[in-house]
Amino acid sequence: MDLSLLLGLGRFVLATTLLLLLTVPTAFVVIQLELKVIALMQLRLGPNRVGPRGLFQSTIHGFKVLAKEDTVPDQADRATFTLAPWMVYMAAAMSMLVIPFAPGFVAADFNIGVVYFFAILGLSVVGLLVAGWSSYNKYSLLGGLRSAAQMVSYEIPLTLSVVGVVILTGSLNFTQIINHQLAHGWNVWWQLLGFPIFFIAATAEINRAPFDLVEADSEIVAGPFTEYSGMRFGFFFFAEYVALFIMSAILVTLFFGGYLAPWPFPAQLSGFIGTLYGLIWFFAKTYFFIFVAIWMRTTLPRIRVDQLMGVAWKVLLPLSLINLFGTAIAVVAFKL
Amino acid sequence: MAIPGSGILTGMATTMRNLFAPKVTRQYPEERPQMPERWRGRLDLIYDPFGEHKCEVCFQCAQVCPVEAIDMSGFDSQGNRIRYGMPEIYDERKDPNAYRRAGLEARPMRNAARWDEVIDTAFVDQVIDGFHSRPEALVAIFSAIQARYGYLPERALRRISDRMVIHWAQVFGAAGLGGFRLLPAEGHVITVCTCAACRFAGGEALLRESERLLGVRAGESTPDGAFTLETSSDVAAGAIAPAVRIDTLVYGPLTPEHLGHLVEQRRGGAAGTSANGGGNGRRRRTAAAARKG
Repeated sequence: MDLSLLLGLGRFVLATTLLLLLTVPTAFVVIQLELKVIALMQLRLGPNRVGPRGLFQSTIHGFKVLAKEDTVPDQADRATFTLAPWMVYMAAAMSMLVIPFAPGFVAADFNIGVVYFFAILGLSVVGLLVAGWSSYNKYSLLGGLRSAAQMVSYEIPLTLSVVGVVILTGSLNFTQIINHQLAHGWNVWWQLLGFPIFFIAATAEINRAPFDLVEADSEIVAGPFTEYSGMRFGFFFFAEYVALFIMSAILVTLFFGGYLAPWPFPAQLSGFIGTLYGLIWFFAKTYFFIFVAIWMRTTLPRIRVDQLMGVAWKVLLPLSLINLFGTAIAVVAFKL
Repeated sequence: MAIPGSGILTGMATTMRNLFAPKVTRQYPEERPQMPERWRGRLDLIYDPFGEHKCEVCFQCAQVCPVEAIDMSGFDSQGNRIRYGMPEIYDERKDPNAYRRAGLEARPMRNAARWDEVIDTAFVDQVIDGFHSRPEALVAIFSAIQARYGYLPERALRRISDRMVIHWAQVFGAAGLGGFRLLPAEGHVITVCTCAACRFAGGEALLRESERLLGVRAGESTPDGAFTLETSSDVAAGAIAPAVRIDTLVYGPLTPEHLGHLVEQRRGGAAGTSANGGGNGRRRRTAAAARKG
């Protein structure tokens, strides 16, 4: 076997393993952030007992689900019931593969990274639908159907708004998209319509409030997760927060320059310093948008199902088409 | 005109302000609310699962109430009506001035001695230390104190409660179990023996006779302060049943007629010659003599 192929394979295995390991602390951090920020915004103190300043609360939650009993309903389709959490979690974890964390710090630098990302992320809807169907529970089934309807509907404006960025930068490769932003400024200034569409659609795509109809507690118990317990529920839960992280990361990469600093200096940092500098900016921006998502969850009430579909098909889809054609015309007309 | 979507921004601004606003959470076990000093929480009668009062009318709550706000009455296990009145009941505790304001005759406090009684706390401490503050020695400690004062002064009980770290209600409850006087005995103390031998030999008749003669029930003092009637089971250990102890002298075997004679001998006699000890008792008797004179 060719040595370079072997090296590439080894690098790939190492990168995927590291990313998979990264998902767990990421989920812990995002969950902790959510617990604390929501509490503070509701004038509560939030977790402050486990660990220094309550920092280990989400970690304890994570280990708690490991210790819990894992139940499967009698009538459930055991094979798919077991498979569903895995599908949802892997969809989230695998889509991390193409995120550029820092210059050269990306697991797989595809030339069709954007396509891969949205294709893989779209798999999670299958997991949710399978979970809802196999649970043999009407709430689970309703939740699964809702997730199918919601995520398929919002994937269209989501992807169309990304196409605007792709036309603008002329690439499906995330690294090249970032490099384009280094030369021309952040895409958000060129995509003033595309960014809000992407933001709203992304929020709906990962079932965040105010679009959390999939597991609307007050309506359908916990949606597809109703019958899940123990670590299987833990996988869903983790996947949700990993998806939040990934969506923020992609939003930052597409519209806010990814790992680039907001100012042009220092222009070129290389080696370890450059990687660290990129990592800091990448995580700062990503966690800012995670904070915004949490902030929205605290503030906004859940919208109705008919409103949800109405926004997707009557508002976001036409707007994203306008954005797409507007961008295309502008690129052709002004030779951007 | 409201801009569409401005409500969302208003809400987001509100939550962002709240992020930095002071928090309302109170860390309960560590942080306690500042309550008034004499606040005792919500008073309530507790019911058992069958809907019956769990209150057994032990009066301990009434005894410890710092503002003496509890009056209570109920039925004991024998069906007798009982009421809170160990030192006094609320009506009797009222300020004489309140009676005067109401146009009623001022009534003296029945046991005003409680208020300015002076006890030797060093002695009480010595007794407690002698028993190494063991709670099971409470009755022995009571006995030692009653031997000195002739009764259990409230101050001494409070001292016991403080020193031995036993709740006041428990100390008071133990003292009220029997065998101890909570008030200074007034005048001659007539103790009717209730041991098995004495009752078999006619002790019940002696008790009824003495109650009839004095017009009070066991445990009470006559209104003029000349006699205190009480019962005990260790007057004569059955040797001279039925026996009665008057002050320090033990008489027996007695008939009701003979007891009547002994009581008449002391009625109207010099109260000051009685042998029960204690400064308060003496002061009280002097006061009673002064009233009579």
